[in-house]
Amino acid sequence: MKEIKLFLGPQHPGMHGNASIHMYVDGDIINRAYLLPGMLHRGFEKSMERRTWMNNIALIPRICVPEPDTNEMVFAMNIEALANVEVPERAHWIRMLILELARLSAHLMAFGGCGGPTGLYTAMYWAQADRDLILTLFEEITGQRIYHMYIVGGGVRKDLPKGIEKKILDFVDDLERRLPDYEDLILNNPSILARIKDNIMLPAEVVWELGVTGIGMRSATGLEYDLRKVTPYARYDKVEFDVPTATYSDAYARLNIKYLEMYQIIRIIRQVLDMMPGGKVRAKVAEGSALRWRIPKGQVYSAVEASRGEYGYYTVSTGETMPYRVAVRGASFPQGLLGIEKYLPGHRIDDAPLWFDTMGVCSPEIDR
Amino acid sequence: MNKKSILAPFKGWKYLFKKPVAIPMDDIFKNPRESQDNYRGFHINDWETCIGCGTCAEICPTNAITMVERSDVEDVEGSKPERPVIDYGRCCFCGLCVDICTSGSLNLTKEYLYNSSEPEDYLHMPTSEGITGKEYKLGYIQDETSDLLDLERKHMEHVGAEKRKSSFIEIVRGFSKEQALAESARCVDCGICTKTCPANMNIPEYIKSVWEGNLEEGLDYLYKTNPLPSVCGRICTHECESVCALSHRGDAIAIRWLKRYIVDNMPDDKYEEIVLSQVSKKGEGKVAIVGAGSSGLSAAYYLATLGYEVDVYERKPMAGGPMRYGAPKYRLPDAVTDHDISFIEKLGVKIHTNTDVGKDITLDELKKTHNAVFVSTGYPDTRALKIPGVDHKDVKMAMSFLAAATEYERGVAAMPDIKEDVVVVGSGDVAFDVARTLIRFQNEKYGKMNVQMLALETAQQVPATPEEVTEGVEEGIHMNLGFGPQTIQIDKESGDIKGIEACECIRLFDDNNRFDPQMDFDAKMCLETQQVYLAIGQVSDLSYIPKELQDKITIERGKIKVDAEGQVDGASWLFAGGDIVHGMDIINGVADGHRAAVGIDKYISKNKK
Amino acid sequence: MNNNIETFVEDIKSKYETLGVDIPKNNQVSLDFTARDIHSVLAYAKSHGWAQLSMLTCVDWIEENKLQLVYLLFNWENGVRLQVRTKLDRDKPVFSTITSIYPGAKYYERDVHEFFGVEFEGNPESYKPLFLENWDDMPPLLKDFDPQAYSDEKYPAREYEKDFTKKAGEK
Repeated sequence: MKEIKLFLGPQHPGMHGNASIHMYVDGDIINRAYLLPGMLHRGFEKSMERRTWMNNIALIPRICVPEPDTNEMVFAMNIEALANVEVPERAHWIRMLILELARLSAHLMAFGGCGGPTGLYTAMYWAQADRDLILTLFEEITGQRIYHMYIVGGGVRKDLPKGIEKKILDFVDDLERRLPDYEDLILNNPSILARIKDNIMLPAEVVWELGVTGIGMRSATGLEYDLRKVTPYARYDKVEFDVPTATYSDAYARLNIKYLEMYQIIRIIRQVLDMMPGGKVRAKVAEGSALRWRIPKGQVYSAVEASRGEYGYYTVSTGETMPYRVAVRGASFPQGLLGIEKYLPGHRIDDAPLWFDTMGVCSPEIDR
Repeated sequence: MNKKSILAPFKGWKYLFKKPVAIPMDDIFKNPRESQDNYRGFHINDWETCIGCGTCAEICPTNAITMVERSDVEDVEGSKPERPVIDYGRCCFCGLCVDICTSGSLNLTKEYLYNSSEPEDYLHMPTSEGITGKEYKLGYIQDETSDLLDLERKHMEHVGAEKRKSSFIEIVRGFSKEQALAESARCVDCGICTKTCPANMNIPEYIKSVWEGNLEEGLDYLYKTNPLPSVCGRICTHECESVCALSHRGDAIAIRWLKRYIVDNMPDDKYEEIVLSQVSKKGEGKVAIVGAGSSGLSAAYYLATLGYEVDVYERKPMAGGPMRYGAPKYRLPDAVTDHDISFIEKLGVKIHTNTDVGKDITLDELKKTHNAVFVSTGYPDTRALKIPGVDHKDVKMAMSFLAAATEYERGVAAMPDIKEDVVVVGSGDVAFDVARTLIRFQNEKYGKMNVQMLALETAQQVPATPEEVTEGVEEGIHMNLGFGPQTIQIDKESGDIKGIEACECIRLFDDNNRFDPQMDFDAKMCLETQQVYLAIGQVSDLSYIPKELQDKITIERGKIKVDAEGQVDGASWLFAGGDIVHGMDIINGVADGHRAAVGIDKYISKNKK
Repeated sequence: MNNNIETFVEDIKSKYETLGVDIPKNNQVSLDFTARDIHSVLAYAKSHGWAQLSMLTCVDWIEENKLQLVYLLFNWENGVRLQVRTKLDRDKPVFSTITSIYPGAKYYERDVHEFFGVEFEGNPESYKPLFLENWDDMPPLLKDFDPQAYSDEKYPAREYEKDFTKKAGEK
């Protein structure tokens, strides 16, 4: 058969964010493929050099839509490292609460998102509805549903609203009760299993070759390589949680880990609410008004464990009111670019979106 | 793992009759859900509170806010007649504008629905009504945690009360570099202060220079409008600070101390370079100035920068006026005044001291030898008090006492005759200068002190600056407020003062807010004392102006009527400024001198043609 | 930082000409080298546990006329991150690829080439455009590229006619 060129995306129900995969297919088998990012036309890194340290908070969450808070966290961690600022204890715990809620919402989106490419739209609807309930919690805590602009250098922007603890607990209790339904719907569903079992493999050597992190790495190597454990930030060393792993990484294993992690997230959220200390939530990062904050000179990298893996910012300061350079390490970069080029070929066309989903690729963080 | 069954997914059917999370399309506009309490929706702005400082526009990360001048908002001091316009095509609802709002007028509401096909409709000037004119609850508002201003003034080191009350060392230590940087970083660069400063100094600009560490540029800004920056950096009345945008929710920027930081930290050679660089042209002509106070020196400096030959006549042995013979040295050391004056002299200004115009040389003579004359003779005398016993030799006048005191401090005269128990009448800055000088003298002479203050005003009405009151009380002044002196009691046998009798003042101002004190003559009290110091105001002495000239010009309540550039009505060659035009204030004097220099330059240039 | 790291840093310093060492935060070391040592240092680090290249990025030090390459390595066993850095001549930024050591660098090099103009010899695809379709200006993350001017020229701002200087309805 003649090889033809086929585009997946930039707008496609199975595509996460706006990117395009150019595929050369023979029948329904992909022969060659590469990702064409750049559809978002953003230039974040340049824009960040032209905004003050505080103003950047309005920009950075936009780099990753499903999980914007990791951006705020790593930017704040870099400011704190450069300015040598001690974050108030309560702020650490609030940050963990926010990051775990965000991880839960991102996991739901990706876990239910596998319904798109497989035709199981119920999964998508359920996950979106549950994610929406988390967004309402975010709306109450931070003032917005998607772009929270909440974690800032020195702590968080506002204290938690009164009574939010109970609402969060009620939500996670409810979700925990319903998670088995998700399991039945997706992981125990023979028609889905036929698509994800022994399909879309990620061998351990490919993990090391590409530099894949997160669930991809843990599902292939069996190692508990989670930044929350390896280099604990905030107060992750004070809470108990397990890191699910596997040594055989097919799409099923990765979805299953995502599913198991949701229980761990709920476990962390309960501990955080239980151990939440009182006190201030924000420390000053610099003298004066936010228009004139200067952050001391230095070059530092901070990373957190996002739902898709290691997410980090490299920040360079020359002691001025704006960062001199910020470089974003999106967790999807290795598998989204080199991964697609090298390891998508050989798969069927209809597995391409599933590949995208279960490998943890989110195009906005590649296209920054 | 659960047993895999083809039926497992169908368990989901149990949700079929549950209430959905999604909102029906029909309800989105007709019956919208209320957003959460903290919601960052559309803006509202309370115009009564808004001061138009533009800090919201400054911080906006998307350049969505523009300040627009409104014809229906009054242009008053302490504000700008501008209000923010928000471009909702750009706004990202981050709320930073709310966090940094200086007055707290700008907030976000819970309103989130708005739709129009017309791009123009997304440009909106928020008022206390929302974008659609409907009432919505407040959403995201400023709080202590989210605040992006630094409301606290950096601490200024002061010498402690115990140490300072027995010496004349300067009380205020001045900012260190770190303190100055931190203090200047608090400024939001709105410029509201500039309008209020009598000299319209480039305040935000020189504060920014401090923040950028460019003191040369800062000094250049200072000299553009003020040739006495070292003096003003210490004793200016700093009206600018009272309107500072930061003062609405916190402490005003320490503008005066930042000015002082610039002048104190510039080496003399750079200083000279900057001062001399202000010379802008070579005017031809000679100008005489009568009185070397702030106004006279300021006029002299700016005339010199315009290339004129300037002669300043001063009847005292040293130039400076009240800076020299009024302000106590713990506030304004002589060296500071010397410093500013030396740079004025470097421009070629000749200061003739010990030359009393009217006695040693007449005004007419000055008129003949110069193209124009500027008079700025100030308020050298103390206002009289008409009560029995006031002619006693132990009733002292504030201005002459302060002059004598400064001469003693600089070692050219003996200590004035000070008694052990004294009463100062008045509660203005001059009264505090007198009282605090007396404390130091008593401690020096007797090793103890007893200074009482007697004034009509209540604690709320005291006209002195708050720091004078605080420091004065710390040093041990005993205040008797709300009483008006009636009689000075004299011991018939010795002939010495034995006390001062006073009545309670029940009203200070009449209904029209005019000074009209009323006494309750039954509520009497008597303070025992050996000396009384009067410090209830100062008056001018215009006796050097010949009678014929006085008839031609307008003098009302001791003040000479002039036009906007200091030209005296009825005598085009004569210009006037300072206390005798605007009342007591160094910075007003500086401003008058600057304006008059411009006026004189125009006058001389016009007469040449 | 534990002793192993100090030993490793001392070891590196004894082997290669180390231009600078800094500890910007806990568990992180930055090391500056001349360009010729970078490959050996990276290979050495990889063989000592720094199995992951987290990112390769670049910083434009326009005043020094240098482009700085930053290789961020991570060691999952001890949680220590290395910043391995070197500076290239800004006028002729040429370096050679590290894809033989860290294959994952392939697209990072392409990214740095596109945004900073650094050429990576040995990575033939690094010259291809990646994000910027039909780009017609200098590499945009260089400090002398002015995005405001570029955007003003290409995308003129909307002119609004609405007048806010008076009350609505007033003339």
